[in-house]
Amino acid sequence: MSEPDRKPVADVGLLLEGTFPYVAGGVSSWVHQIITGFPELTFAICFLGSRRQDYGKMKYAIPANVVHLEEHYLNEKSSYTQIKSVAGDADMFGLNADLHDYFRNPQAQAVRGGEVLETIVGELNGRMDRSQFLYSQASWNYTTEQYRLRCTDPSFVDYFWTVRTMHAPIWMLAAIVESFPPVRCYHTVSTGYAGFLGALLKRRWNRNLVLSEHGIYTKERRIDLYAARWIADNRTLLQRNPTEAGYFRQMWIRFFEALGRMCYDASDQIIALYEANRLRQVQDGAEPGRTSNIPNGIDIVKFGALRSQRPADIPPIMCLIGRVVPIKDIKTYIRATRIIATRLPGFQAWIAGPEDESPAYAAECRALVASLGLQSNIRFLGFQKLTELLPQIGLVVLSSISEALPLVLLEGFAAGVPAVSTDVGSCQQLMNGLDPEDRALGASGTVVGIADPQAMAEAVLALLTDAPAWHAAARAGMARVERYYTQPLMFDRYRAVYASAVVPRQPPTAASVPAVCRKP
Amino acid sequence: MAGIGFELRKLLNRDSYFSLVRAYAYAGLISSGPWVLSILGLLAIGLLPANADAPQHLMTQFQVSVTYLIMGTLIFTGLIQLAFTRWVSDRLFARETEPIMPNFAGVVLVTNLAGGLVAGVLAFTAFRGETVLYRAMMVCGFVVLSDVWVATIFLSGLKLYKTIVGLFAGGYSLSVVAALLLRGQGVEGLLIGYLGGQFFMLCGMVFIVLRTFPTRRLIAFDCFVPGAMFPSLIAVGVLYNLGIWADKIVFWLAPQTSSAIIGPLRASVIYDLPVFLAYLGIIPGMAVFLVRFETDFVEWYDKFYNAVRKGGSLQEISRMRDEMVFSIRSGLFDIVKMQTLSVLLMVVFAPAIFAKLSISGLYLPLFYVDAVAASLQVALLAVMNVFFYLDKRPQVLIITSMLTVLNFSLSIVTLHLGVAYYGYGFAVALLITLVVALLMLERKISNLEFDTFMLQ
Repeated sequence: MSEPDRKPVADVGLLLEGTFPYVAGGVSSWVHQIITGFPELTFAICFLGSRRQDYGKMKYAIPANVVHLEEHYLNEKSSYTQIKSVAGDADMFGLNADLHDYFRNPQAQAVRGGEVLETIVGELNGRMDRSQFLYSQASWNYTTEQYRLRCTDPSFVDYFWTVRTMHAPIWMLAAIVESFPPVRCYHTVSTGYAGFLGALLKRRWNRNLVLSEHGIYTKERRIDLYAARWIADNRTLLQRNPTEAGYFRQMWIRFFEALGRMCYDASDQIIALYEANRLRQVQDGAEPGRTSNIPNGIDIVKFGALRSQRPADIPPIMCLIGRVVPIKDIKTYIRATRIIATRLPGFQAWIAGPEDESPAYAAECRALVASLGLQSNIRFLGFQKLTELLPQIGLVVLSSISEALPLVLLEGFAAGVPAVSTDVGSCQQLMNGLDPEDRALGASGTVVGIADPQAMAEAVLALLTDAPAWHAAARAGMARVERYYTQPLMFDRYRAVYASAVVPRQPPTAASVPAVCRKP
Repeated sequence: MAGIGFELRKLLNRDSYFSLVRAYAYAGLISSGPWVLSILGLLAIGLLPANADAPQHLMTQFQVSVTYLIMGTLIFTGLIQLAFTRWVSDRLFARETEPIMPNFAGVVLVTNLAGGLVAGVLAFTAFRGETVLYRAMMVCGFVVLSDVWVATIFLSGLKLYKTIVGLFAGGYSLSVVAALLLRGQGVEGLLIGYLGGQFFMLCGMVFIVLRTFPTRRLIAFDCFVPGAMFPSLIAVGVLYNLGIWADKIVFWLAPQTSSAIIGPLRASVIYDLPVFLAYLGIIPGMAVFLVRFETDFVEWYDKFYNAVRKGGSLQEISRMRDEMVFSIRSGLFDIVKMQTLSVLLMVVFAPAIFAKLSISGLYLPLFYVDAVAASLQVALLAVMNVFFYLDKRPQVLIITSMLTVLNFSLSIVTLHLGVAYYGYGFAVALLITLVVALLMLERKISNLEFDTFMLQ
């Protein structure tokens, strides 16, 4: 079936991996904001998750302009049960070897690699289907050959299952490509599996693909993977080099890098939240001409109204607004609290965010609070309404080791609350300004190094105990957010993005079809 | 479970020629004990001094009746033997010992009901002309022997070989003595005596089972739930026993080689005795089989799967596979060597022994062929054992089906070719099946890593 035969059921096909509507967080709120911000557009959502049991109920009400929502869980055992040995398509596995050479060295093989990729991706439901990967002798030969050539970890069974677990979702995605309802353009909010799905969809149905990246998916994955205990590392004490990741970790990282590159190559518009990330995308293989920045915008009317509710004095309360997960480095925040509480009587540190995503980490944090004797200073509030929370606090604090463009800082600024944050993502830009005009507005808070409780404590104390400095920072924050980070600004930019994305693409001409595909 | 391999290795590790001999003797005893004792027991009862109360033809009637009982019950319980053993070992592997005993009781009950029904129907139809007591004893015999096989296979599954041999020795001694005392009562008396011994043997087995798996539940039927037992193993159990007996059945039913003995039962004077005597010649082969496959092969088999599961390198996995292949090859070679020697010895000494036991020298050529055939059967058993370890049930099903079909058809062919060819049907059927089984093993094992990883 070709695209003209399919009548679009929605304007935008949103590809969401591990976020809206099942996971609360910055990206999810942003997705929700975009959907509700464009009531004139209709959306079809494809949610990709790991396993159904990893997610609870939906965290968001589904807006009325979402006309379709489907969920797929990539790490669940598929119902594909017919196990039967097959010989394997030797030609396809020959191309597969070329493809992996290309992934290992994209610059050297750019032209040939692109053609090969195109061919293999086109056969994911055909000559390179799931049974070829799972049950063919050719697949076994390639896997064992690669193990012999490259694997530095002795365990073959771990290597084998790493390869299988990693690649298995690809065929699930290939099936989604056929079943996902027709839309006028695709919009993925990360690279990774969702971004790869976007690339497949674009290739199959010839529609524009927009990529909005909040963080840099491959970078975040890398952090997750370095910390993941489920990845085997069988090197002995003598073999182990602490500065080098185990082979299976490296495999996973390279895998996601390859998925990311395929998504960048396929995307017509690559949107970063701020300049540092855009540069990173370019470095990771995005074509500079397709990249741009659209910072987040917040509801300035809603949050601006909170300023009048603020008490006259600065409340000696700081609040970390975010999920209780390792990436937010809650432990540094707790340690900083210990230092501040000793010097500022009556000081309160709140943590407003759900704890269900990483219960083990949340338990560790609570244990740390108890062991530092901070039970009376630190409160775990769970998910909170920001409009009620922000007027009560004196500082918004972020201790994350990775952030993109944290909305909570902007919302705090709008409500008249300055901030202390680690130097990650766009925080430097939000606190001190980007261009000279922006800088002239002054500092709206303090940026400290990551994992430095002492510096964080000093910065918090400096603001909370110095009223003129606090008020100056609050004023700078209000001015900056009103000028650069409002919703109308963001919606205008995205309106333009969607307007160009929904325009039908030219059908590919014969000349643009790679030579490899034309082989009989 | 330490199993028999452990004990054998202990004997082998003492590192002296005598300990090696002891290990093989021990293995020979426990691997061949039950059926050697069965054959010897039957022969012993047959060789009891005939007198006016028990003339020779009564002895023949008795022996033929029991032979049919043994064959009938082996084929009948073939339905359950392997499938139930597998079910038990799966429970043991999952460390769920509680349901084992009640299910054993369940299997015995079902066997008794079904066996009793089959035997009862036959007693009222085919055996209508016989005395009530004879018919009653045959029905009892069918049930008791069925239970004996179920209990034996159950105990072998638990690797309690020594216990089994002890019980068989005791049971058959009792059978012989009781038959001797009751032979005045004709064929019925002999049967009562024989079955009495068997019944006590069965009681001993049940006692051992109860002691091994104490339980609160009396009976359960979990293993009969659809999907609990492998249908392929049910088929293999029946086909293997049928395949082994096929040539005997052919010769019993053919008018030119058999005569009616009692009721519908026919026996073949020229065919039976050489076959049963030939089976005594595979004791050395069975000993080698047990020693080589329960120690060397199982050791490498375990190492192979440990390397697979516990993160060995691919090279290591392949090496274990190669060692496993080598242990299979050398085990089969040893069986062949040992059986060649055994057959040669039989050829040398059989004439003298036959003369001593006043068995006609005309039996000798058939006896030699059967000795070779029985040796091939040991090798086939070894290959099937490897397939069972590798859990290749479809292959075993093919092998046993082939054996059954070939043994039936080739035996019928030899029947028409003439006396000189008797026994060759059985031998050639085994030879072809063995060669095919080896080729299949070759193919399976060269793909072992692929199968193990990709197709699970």
